[in-house]
Amino acid sequence: MVSDKTCRFAPNIVDKKMAKHWWKALAVILLLYTIIAGFLVKVPVIENNQQSTRNLFFHVPMWVCMYTLFTISVVNSLLYLTKYDLKKDIRASCAANVGVLFGLMGFVTGSLWATYTWGSTITNDPKQIATAVALLIYLAYLVLRMSFTDIDKRARVSAIYNIFAFALLIPLTYIIPRMVDSLHPGSATSPGFKSKDTDGTLMMVFYPAFTGWTLLSIWIYTLLARYKRLELKNIFK
Amino acid sequence: MPALHQTLTLVKKDLVLELRQKYAFYGILLYIISTVFVINMMMGKPEEQIWNALFWVVQLFVSVNAIAKSFMQESRGRLLYFYSVVHPRCFIAAKLLYNILLMAIMSIIALVSCIVFLGNPIIKVGYFIGVVMLGGISLSLLFTMLAAIAAQANQNAALMAIMGFPIMMPLLMMLSSISRSAFVPVYQPGLLNMFLLLAGMDALIIGLAMILFPFLWKD
Amino acid sequence: MINRRTSYFLFTLVLLFTSMLAKAQQQNTETGPVNEMLRSNGKIYVVVAVLVIIFIGIILYLIRLDRKITKLEHQQQSKS
Repeated sequence: MVSDKTCRFAPNIVDKKMAKHWWKALAVILLLYTIIAGFLVKVPVIENNQQSTRNLFFHVPMWVCMYTLFTISVVNSLLYLTKYDLKKDIRASCAANVGVLFGLMGFVTGSLWATYTWGSTITNDPKQIATAVALLIYLAYLVLRMSFTDIDKRARVSAIYNIFAFALLIPLTYIIPRMVDSLHPGSATSPGFKSKDTDGTLMMVFYPAFTGWTLLSIWIYTLLARYKRLELKNIFK
Repeated sequence: MPALHQTLTLVKKDLVLELRQKYAFYGILLYIISTVFVINMMMGKPEEQIWNALFWVVQLFVSVNAIAKSFMQESRGRLLYFYSVVHPRCFIAAKLLYNILLMAIMSIIALVSCIVFLGNPIIKVGYFIGVVMLGGISLSLLFTMLAAIAAQANQNAALMAIMGFPIMMPLLMMLSSISRSAFVPVYQPGLLNMFLLLAGMDALIIGLAMILFPFLWKD
Repeated sequence: MINRRTSYFLFTLVLLFTSMLAKAQQQNTETGPVNEMLRSNGKIYVVVAVLVIIFIGIILYLIRLDRKITKLEHQQQSKS
């Protein structure tokens, strides 16, 4: 039998390796396309956004990445509580870590954009509030993790907090918009990007951008998770 | 039903303990009054909106302080004993019930002392008391679960605030916006929805606590 | 372990703080050169700034990860 151990260069192994990595190549291609097309495509004029509408391809996917990673984190926490496998805990913490990175970038870029379109940086916008709340919750999660010395206990308690906080976060994203009006395009008082996008050019770039950034965030997350796994093995040796 | 009986017994135990010691009660009473008095010294009698905001902030800190104690007062040995005797769900249910009771009393005291020291801008008193009660219940439910988590992390009280406040923020916003209509005589639409949302949140917290607490209890 | 984490937190705090600071400055000097530049050409430079922020964020994160892995490698070597 030709396997990973007996022959490194067996053709089917190469195929397998290709199969494992294709999505990283896809991420790179999609992001390249996003950056090039994002600056070249013709954008419709929406309120006072002018050319900064192109931020749709760079700022909005950050938010999507953050939520994707937080969801991955919660799923891993759930899996940890069913099997008590420390690897799952590591994945949960890594996903939260990278999610916070992307959330922070989304927050900073969003407030930069807001400065030049809404006139002020910190507004009472529900999406901004929800993102800030999500970030604070996951920073609290990371702080909670730091307060333990026992690895198993840390994994268990932080998994519980993760599930508890996430389950409460989801309804909050429904509640907050009912209380404050959004400045984001697409809400009750401001027209959406989609309705202005008559040629469909925006969406032609937006969906690839969205996929590309998400894949990139997952890539970074897997890197961190692999590192943490090695570190864990190092401890137990 | 044994489960219900156990739960009620645990609640009774907490109540008896409290009645004997009276430590938590008077401590928090003093806390409320001194906080409100400080506010009074700083700004006299504030306007409606500020009154509302201050009241909910007082309420928030009172609930953090009152409920943080509920797990801290249990010694390690006693927890171990409970663990061997009752199901964890009964234990958390008892704690939730006891904290709701405690918080209801504290809310009334906070309301009375706020009215005494900061003036009374409320027009619909019954409505406001209802909102305060509901808010107290939500706050106590949430902080009970967080206190249970924080109790595992070496009884760290600061940690509870860090974990709780982000989750608490939208709840407080909602409560203050509901209660704001107690200061104006006009009827506001959409309030029923808010109440339903609040009740839904409470139900969700109770459900989560019931599901997650047994995992927390494995030591 | 704690050291690395705290450094990360400091980094995030610094990031937040600088962004706040930058904003505060921009608000104060509504007609400053930076502001005019960012508003010119149909605000296209806002997009550039956003992309730069994201790029810097990812690169800083990678540098941090790189350092961690180097440390782990050293540990591994000293053990074997």
